[in-house]
Amino acid sequence: MKRIVTMKGLALLAVLLAAFLFFHPSGVKAQAPIKVGIIDTYTGPPTAYTYDVRDAFKLAIDEVNTKGGVLGRKIEFTTRDDKFKVDLALSMAKELVMNEKVDILMGTINSAGTLAVSEFCKVEKIPFLVTFSKSDKITGEKGHRYVFSITENTVMIGKAAAAGLSKRPFLKYWIAGDDYEYGHALADGVWGNLKKIKPKVELIGQSWWKVGEPDLTPYLTAISAAKPDAVIFATGAASMVNAMKVAKATGFAEKIPMFIHTATELATLAPLGPEAPEKIIGTSNYHFYYPATPKNKAFAKAFRDAYGRYPKVGALYGYLTAQFIAKALEKAGKMDREKFIDVLEGMKIDSPVGEVEMRAYDHQAMLPMFMAVTKKVPTYSFLIASDIVTIPAKEVMPGIEEIKKARGQ
Amino acid sequence: MFRRIIHAKWPGFTIALFIILLLLPPLVPRFFIYILGLIYVTSLLAMSLNLVVGHGGMFQFHHAVFYGVGAYTIALLLTKTSWPMWVGFIAGPILAALVGLLIGWFCVRLTRLYFGMLQISLGSLIWAIVFRWYKFTGGDDGIHGVPMPGFLSSLNSSYYFILIILAGSLILLYLILKSPFGSTLQAIRDNPQRCEAVGINVRRHQLRAIVVATFFAGIAGVLFVVLERSVFPDLLFWVLSLEIFIMCLLGGWFTFAGPILGAAITVALRIFVGKYTEYWTLILGIILILLIFFLPEGVMGYFEGAFKTRTKKVAERGNP
Amino acid sequence: MGFLPTFGPAELLSQLIVGLSRAMILFVVCAGLSFVLGVLRVPNIAHGSLYMIGAFATYSFSKSLTGSAGFWLALLLAPLVVAFISLVAERALFRHLYQREHLMLLLFTFALALILGDLVKIVWGAEYRSVAAPDLLKGSISMLGSSFPRYNLFLIFIGLLVAIALWLFVNKTKMGKISRAAAVDRDMVGLLGINVSWVFAGAFVIGCCLAGLGGALVAPTVSITLGMDHTLIIEAFLIVTIGGLGNMWGALAGSLIFGVTQSLGVLFFPQFAIVFPYAAVVIVLLLRPKGLLKSVW
Repeated sequence: MKRIVTMKGLALLAVLLAAFLFFHPSGVKAQAPIKVGIIDTYTGPPTAYTYDVRDAFKLAIDEVNTKGGVLGRKIEFTTRDDKFKVDLALSMAKELVMNEKVDILMGTINSAGTLAVSEFCKVEKIPFLVTFSKSDKITGEKGHRYVFSITENTVMIGKAAAAGLSKRPFLKYWIAGDDYEYGHALADGVWGNLKKIKPKVELIGQSWWKVGEPDLTPYLTAISAAKPDAVIFATGAASMVNAMKVAKATGFAEKIPMFIHTATELATLAPLGPEAPEKIIGTSNYHFYYPATPKNKAFAKAFRDAYGRYPKVGALYGYLTAQFIAKALEKAGKMDREKFIDVLEGMKIDSPVGEVEMRAYDHQAMLPMFMAVTKKVPTYSFLIASDIVTIPAKEVMPGIEEIKKARGQ
Repeated sequence: MFRRIIHAKWPGFTIALFIILLLLPPLVPRFFIYILGLIYVTSLLAMSLNLVVGHGGMFQFHHAVFYGVGAYTIALLLTKTSWPMWVGFIAGPILAALVGLLIGWFCVRLTRLYFGMLQISLGSLIWAIVFRWYKFTGGDDGIHGVPMPGFLSSLNSSYYFILIILAGSLILLYLILKSPFGSTLQAIRDNPQRCEAVGINVRRHQLRAIVVATFFAGIAGVLFVVLERSVFPDLLFWVLSLEIFIMCLLGGWFTFAGPILGAAITVALRIFVGKYTEYWTLILGIILILLIFFLPEGVMGYFEGAFKTRTKKVAERGNP
Repeated sequence: MGFLPTFGPAELLSQLIVGLSRAMILFVVCAGLSFVLGVLRVPNIAHGSLYMIGAFATYSFSKSLTGSAGFWLALLLAPLVVAFISLVAERALFRHLYQREHLMLLLFTFALALILGDLVKIVWGAEYRSVAAPDLLKGSISMLGSSFPRYNLFLIFIGLLVAIALWLFVNKTKMGKISRAAAVDRDMVGLLGINVSWVFAGAFVIGCCLAGLGGALVAPTVSITLGMDHTLIIEAFLIVTIGGLGNMWGALAGSLIFGVTQSLGVLFFPQFAIVFPYAAVVIVLLLRPKGLLKSVW
């Protein structure tokens, strides 16, 4: 009996020792680097997007560091994989803040994870820059002083899509999408705004499938039977490529106009290659070939040289985040969280898509949207966006009055 | 009753450990306190599962559902109503136990694999409802920033609260296991036919055990919300159910405190390993295989030298 | 807003075909799961991962040859690759556990699922993959006023082939009969001088091979991603549970229920189509908790 007690005690001691070793104290102050923590999903399908965010961020940070860094200090970042799970996102966020002692937090593509971490950052009073989650609650209903969004949200997508769709002759619409929060928010955003601009439009039916539904053929055949003028697809990453694929295979894309957010974006079109359907209407925040400004070309070239692939939309978000952080630190004069936030509000930066302002009220970056149609071209092995129409940021931003109402103010 | 506690194994050690843990917050880094809190919550969850698996021999394949129900109950009550906090604290485990009663009622009609598969089916349905009913449960977004009363506002006070509830729950679980109820449960695990022959209503007893186990799972769910202030559908997902299973196996499912050790190791490893590699699932799989082959009694079981009875081995072979 | 007043018999038939083809893929996969469940009495959690490997392998093989030949080659090789992987796992590790209690076997398949899941990520990376249907099966056939995608008709055909092949195997071949016997009473089979371990190996490999075949077949219709294993395994478990554990015809029944309720549900109530398969599962389990057809044991 005594022997077992000692062994048990030893085992416990070993565990505690390992734990203490794990929690090594951070580096010393003074010329210590500024630490940024990135929590994102590096497992599963979202990595197609998140790698770009991380890589573009690194590209920008390297540029800053070669020029001597910011305030005489280098900017360092470390990543944590949340595997698209909310509990891991929370644990990793806490680890980065309490153990790794980062100054700024960034991430994640999982809207639920972002909302959870955002609440944590509110309590901890640490700035959190959101890089890919599209829920409008992030800067809307659940927004607060410590969270910023460098990506578009479902309200902005809705307004952009509605603006573009209202100019087309369609009247009878069908809505189809992934049956989860993002899908419904997207659909509500697009439809609500479209109906406001063009009251004559009519919703003749809806289809909702489970997220990641592998076979969309039954849904598409049912929709084509109803003969709508156009279909609005409210799909997340998982079903997007699927929808396009099935649309091409069943000939649906030829017969009925389809609108899908990010259909024109490289992340969606690259995997499909030359098999992607043409004439799909889509909205996107970024194309590496448009606008063909020197800044955008330089950015795309630098990214391609560094990583051997064309930048997708995530790269814009990562690059923008780095630009915002560097400029805000420069302006603040020191790494002070509150000051950082103060100068970030209303800050304007010159980005690959033009000037982008961080709106002071809700901490939402004012990003322009691009609506286009997919088209096959001989120069690339994937389809590109053509007939691109720019919808300026001011036209798509969520209304401040609506946000106030949602927050109960 | 107190005699039972005093005659428990290693009481001195346990009390000393409890006091040390109670004194930790001012002495160690905040992150360590958070990790310990997470370990406490997960330990209670694993212990509740082990009541029916290790000691009851039932194939409880979707235990996470009851954990999630407990968590969502308190989250919903605290965010959607203005009822006082203690209503949520009590409603969580009760609702979890009610769901446990409902699902259990269907499952105990079957045995072993059928029991498990049916539970996975019914549990998945509940997960699907929580996931899709976004107007009520927040759907896949979950519910975040659940407000907690003032006395729980800091990490340290949450830590004390969780630790005390954990200690109380563990004492209760220990008493239950050592009681005639617990002995009958283990007898049913070892030889259900013989128990029937002696006049024990096996189904009713198993159902009672399920209700108890799911009640404690509900408590664990409530404690999770105290610690993290968030709920999300992952809490009811089948992968979590299997992970809790692994914790019981890892710690030693025929020992009393084995699951605690299993939970502690799993939680610590998950975060520790997650810092350095993206391939935590791969490593977990390898650990599991090593366990199955070399340490089937779990870490604690290895130390305690607990072995199954020969009768159990014979009874099990060939029965699905 | 869900009722679709404009569909007629042509649309109904079209949806039915689509539902059947979906059911056939599910059947191919679930037949394998059922077979393993029947003979080894273990629900193979790694089944979804093997299905995923089948899909990814199809992607790789189809790229190796230009044009459609690549796909046909892949259809042949991908299941074999999966069969090989399962054979290695079985001979090296799994078979040592046959004498152990069942929970250990179950947990082993879970460990295997975890490992294979990450292995796919290591080998193929995280990008979405896409496989094109072969030229022969592209497009649709117009019949009875509606158009039927060729590939879906192909799937129905293949599904029937697999069902017939399995029936012949289990009832007419020696190995099949031994498998059935081992499912019911493994000790007796052992006493008859047959190496039970090899029977289990065969059953496991065949079951996993079917999972790989399912993945290969589904590849042209979906985007091939990580996480395919998780979505599939829950459906497969539900189907096998409502069909009757270990019963391959139960797997067929369950797959049909799943596939058809979903596609018809889409036609009648597209907003709530996802509920239909789950509702069907609940109804079946309430009426017959052990599944529709008798379990093999």
